[in-house]
Amino acid sequence: MEIKTSTQDGVTIIGISGNLDANTAQQAQDEIMPLVVPDCRLVLDMSQCEYVSSAGLRLMLMIAKKIKTTEGGKWCLASVSEEIMDVMEMTGFSQFFQTFDSVSEATEAIRGGQ
Amino acid sequence: MLRVDATPTHEYGEFKLRPGKPLPFGATISPGGGVNFSVYSRHATYCELVLFWKREPEPFATIPFPDEFRIGNVFTMVVFDLEYENIEYGYRMDGPFDPEEGHWFDRAKFLMDPYAKAIGGRDIWGEEPDWSNKYPHRSRIFYDDFDWEDDHPLEIPLEDLIIYEMHVRGFTQHPSSGVKYPGTFAGIRWKIPYLQDLGVNCVELLPIHEFDEFENSRISPENGQRLMNFWGYSNVGFFAPKAGYAASGKFGMQVDELKALVREMHKNGIEVILDVVFNHTAEGNENGPYISYRGIDNKTYYMLTPEGYYFNFSGCGNTLNCNNPIVRNMILDCLRYWAADYHVDGFRFDLAAILGRDQNGAPMNSPPLLETLAFDPILGKCKLIAEAWDAGGLYQVGTFPSWGRWAEWNGKYRDDIREFLKGDSGMVGKIIQRLQGSPDLYQWRGTSASVNFITAHDGFTLMDLVSYNEKHNEANSEGNADGEEHNNSWNCGIEGPTDDPGINRLRIKQIKNAAAMLLVSHGMPMILAGDEIGRTQLGNNNAYCQDNEFSWIDWSLLDTNAEILNFFKKIIAFRKAHPVLRNKTHFRNEDYVGSGYPDISWHGPKAWHMDYSDERPIAAFLLCGRHARGGTVEDNYIYVAMNMHWESRSFEIPALPEGTLWHVFTNTDIQPPHDIAEVGHEVEVENQSEFLLGPRSLVILVGK
Repeated sequence: MEIKTSTQDGVTIIGISGNLDANTAQQAQDEIMPLVVPDCRLVLDMSQCEYVSSAGLRLMLMIAKKIKTTEGGKWCLASVSEEIMDVMEMTGFSQFFQTFDSVSEATEAIRGGQ
Repeated sequence: MLRVDATPTHEYGEFKLRPGKPLPFGATISPGGGVNFSVYSRHATYCELVLFWKREPEPFATIPFPDEFRIGNVFTMVVFDLEYENIEYGYRMDGPFDPEEGHWFDRAKFLMDPYAKAIGGRDIWGEEPDWSNKYPHRSRIFYDDFDWEDDHPLEIPLEDLIIYEMHVRGFTQHPSSGVKYPGTFAGIRWKIPYLQDLGVNCVELLPIHEFDEFENSRISPENGQRLMNFWGYSNVGFFAPKAGYAASGKFGMQVDELKALVREMHKNGIEVILDVVFNHTAEGNENGPYISYRGIDNKTYYMLTPEGYYFNFSGCGNTLNCNNPIVRNMILDCLRYWAADYHVDGFRFDLAAILGRDQNGAPMNSPPLLETLAFDPILGKCKLIAEAWDAGGLYQVGTFPSWGRWAEWNGKYRDDIREFLKGDSGMVGKIIQRLQGSPDLYQWRGTSASVNFITAHDGFTLMDLVSYNEKHNEANSEGNADGEEHNNSWNCGIEGPTDDPGINRLRIKQIKNAAAMLLVSHGMPMILAGDEIGRTQLGNNNAYCQDNEFSWIDWSLLDTNAEILNFFKKIIAFRKAHPVLRNKTHFRNEDYVGSGYPDISWHGPKAWHMDYSDERPIAAFLLCGRHARGGTVEDNYIYVAMNMHWESRSFEIPALPEGTLWHVFTNTDIQPPHDIAEVGHEVEVENQSEFLLGPRSLVILVGK
């Protein structure tokens, strides 16, 4: 798994490639959590993410919870593959995340402070 | 902070180890890192942990438990740096092989952990397994950290419960269900709005513990279809949800999917009760496979004859040794786990009479297991419901040891109501008891000791109850020899489906009569899923092996039988609207609030006159609304007249207090849309003193 971050119009785009599972969740947590600060705007670009395990979903849930308690913090997911979206739906995780079809849609939405 | 237990003390090959903790049993991700493995065996002389990559045929590692790691009869160790999401584990044990003494150790066998919280091997329902697999049911490791938000079991009072008995796969597998993930826990989640609309507040799921749908599977010579263990009354593991019931089972996420279902059900006011099967396991008799228990400690887990054979009180080959202290603790651990970690609201115990037998099979007076469950602090608010009989002839309806906690599937309710419904004579005395919550059976236990049901998964559906005189189980390929012979059913004139409009009208009327009696009875009503839309199994009263249209709910019946569904919805709403139908304690047959009316009174065609010598199936009762909930709340007066005789009958209605009038809520003799009213919109009765009740009909009046 690899994480690449870039900034676009004040929105931080976090690209995850590879597998987000028990082996990589800790690394992902170490890299993503520091980005959760007041008034942050984060888009998790999942287009290159091939697989999210139970541990990966738990990490995403923890990000969601931290954002919720971080003043002015916003985030969403972009370009989630159908299979990962399915897993999130089946297991009831999807209700915790806002998802968009593309990074640009996500960026647009989140910049507006939605 | 650094933890001491994060440091390995031993090495075995590439693996770093340290002595484990004996409790909890099973595999637990320890706070110090590593996975703590712990397994009990009293008679094993040796134990090794075997690790597989998911779905690989051969293990990639075998780690013997060092002697110094064993504590008492528990083998335990921590293994560090395991990719716990990608592995499956099991044990191999050595010890005596001496069946006469009850020992079946075989060091060659891979054994599933009895405490496995997730089990791989049947990840996708019906996917044919690799029969050469030496380890077909595999323990997996799962992280127990579900996000429950603010969920809490609902603790709906027993007397307010309306149970809906459902098969997970059968509920949404039919193509007509329209759900995204048919046949699964997620599929049920999609249908929650339907359940809410129907009005039930508790779903009882047929077994959802891991079982093997391929157990005893065979191809039917009748139709070439594969017959399977569809119902699942045969546990592989007690702590793991059935992976094949989870859409996400192929990703190994069945635990999360089931928990998400429970959470969503609770959000919508619906409890979840599990049907649990602690009477036997899927290992069968002497000729059965080694899955776990037999190879781990046969003598502990099973009831054995003095010669070492398996007692068969379950009718399924073996009997779990429920009152052995080790097994008793396992059952307790298991139920606590489901209550605490899955937030389930209660349990229905299959063939629960077995839970009261001692280790030699003899029934006990105060079975320690049942007592333990009744008083357990963690299970303190869980519903405990017994199927109070077993296949060894122990029938305890009315006498199941209860300690004021246990309720029972009231088999006598089912039998008596069925006989009354089909018009048998001499039933009135019994019906009076059944409709009042069976005080003859549960005098000191209150009304909610009785789970009232007319149909359940085992037996005819309600539509079949009024469409068949005989069972038709040919499709089970057992020469129609299986299934209950005495069904107390009546086909209304022709066996099976017919175009005869008169017969079809009568069948619908009988279904309404049954539904109405069930929902105005004291005790907890249980509805078999699909009965509310007239589901048929074409006369099959034992569809345990039918994974097909016999068992799947056809959702197009929503339209076909809209009349039945409408009736069910309204009669359920009626029960919920009227506390006078839901008293916790039995009637006293007297006026103790000064209303001038007793809490309940029985009537015949003549008001205030019940002729007990009359053999005909005719009875009526009046509930005084001022006695609702023991006189603590005020409700309307309710009068129910039942004429299950084939001739019309004139009924004199008891007079109401000044200023109140009778209104008709339902008359099953009348065709829709006037067969049943919206609750609160009942129509005033023209003649307040008398009415003619049609043949095989039921009327409910509301006095307000």
